[in-house]
Amino acid sequence: MQNIISQAKILEVVRQATADTLRVDVAQVRPECSFVQNLGLESLDFLDINYRLEQAFGLKMARHFYLEHVEDMFGEGKAIDERGRLTAAAIQLIRIRYGDQNLPQLADGLEMEQVPALITVQSIVDVVSGILDTMPERCACGASAWKTEDGTHIVCGACGARAPLTNGDDLTRSWLAQVQAEHRLF
Amino acid sequence: MDFTDTVALITGSSRGIGRATALRFAGAGAGVVINYRQTGGRSERQARELADEISRQGRRATVVQADIGVREDLERLFAAVEAEYQRLDFLILNAARAPFKPVEAMLEREWRQLVETNFIGQVLCLRAALPLLEKSGGKAVYVSSLGSRFYLPAYPLGAMKAAMEAMVRHWAESVRGRGVNLNAVCGGIVRTDSFKVLRQFWDGLESLPEELLLEPDELAEVILFLCTPAARGIRGQTIVVDRGLSNRFH
Repeated sequence: MQNIISQAKILEVVRQATADTLRVDVAQVRPECSFVQNLGLESLDFLDINYRLEQAFGLKMARHFYLEHVEDMFGEGKAIDERGRLTAAAIQLIRIRYGDQNLPQLADGLEMEQVPALITVQSIVDVVSGILDTMPERCACGASAWKTEDGTHIVCGACGARAPLTNGDDLTRSWLAQVQAEHRLF
Repeated sequence: MDFTDTVALITGSSRGIGRATALRFAGAGAGVVINYRQTGGRSERQARELADEISRQGRRATVVQADIGVREDLERLFAAVEAEYQRLDFLILNAARAPFKPVEAMLEREWRQLVETNFIGQVLCLRAALPLLEKSGGKAVYVSSLGSRFYLPAYPLGAMKAAMEAMVRHWAESVRGRGVNLNAVCGGIVRTDSFKVLRQFWDGLESLPEELLLEPDELAEVILFLCTPAARGIRGQTIVVDRGLSNRFH
């Protein structure tokens, strides 16, 4: 279901987490910024930002990139070939995930190392939002009275329990299973 | 200790333990070669900031981008050392690159990359440095971690650390008589960027008592000590620097 934290609030937290990790002014972290190309993020920095988001929202971000899950689920070489380039199926998967219009640089033969450059501040906002959207209609206590605590944690207004949320890796795998069922990419 | 007129190359020194070690060597008077892998990102920026900081202290610092897992990069790295300083006294093998994944989930490609960078790359780096170290009667120190001897969740790098501790022992004996010495330090849980990652894979890491968490400088000081004449009796050993973490069963 649609979560109860505004996109503006999620964006604010993602921008702050990024600025804290990189020790830059939050004004530099705009939604359209590519983490790698515009902000100079490296792989360990992504994990640090994830950690900060987990603390802020009380959720678990994916530990592994969705193309890693592809190979785990469907076999090595399905997403990245032996030369470190994306397979045609992986490119199609990225187009499904983000839509063509946002990715002019996405072309056949793209190297895996170039893929993180496609990730923007807004795309992380979407990931967080997707995890928060896994909150159930009702709390285990039966109440349907979700509210936010500190503006970022979703709790039950009746019993105070935290909303149970699907973790990022499980959500990714469930999405991949759905895409595979629909498109037979891998 | 006075390392004036000596030169130290520290791989992976834009941040964390490598950075602390570079500062310690510079503080002792050595010229420092700072190495980082990824261009255009935070590492490059931090490597340059570190070089500026060392220069302001009146010491020489040179920044060289190189991936130690790539032979051509290694050749370029040592060519830069020779061109800039014409000598090398200390090689600190600190760079590492590995996925954080349970071993059973590692792909063949990831295993090959792990070994390529963290074992073969280190060995080739040592091999390339040897002629220079031989001339100066130099020393090499490998930076290992407790993953070499204990299971850490999602830390396949530990297997490479164990292999390199063994390799340090072998090299130390093989080059005995050529005036070069090698040792390793085995760090416990150090407050670095890797710590920020490990806490996501290791439940309870953050509840470890503060007294068991190392600062990068605590490891850097032992690395520096191993490069002093006072450590001449230590050869091919791995010194555990972990505030006693590995003494505990609980």
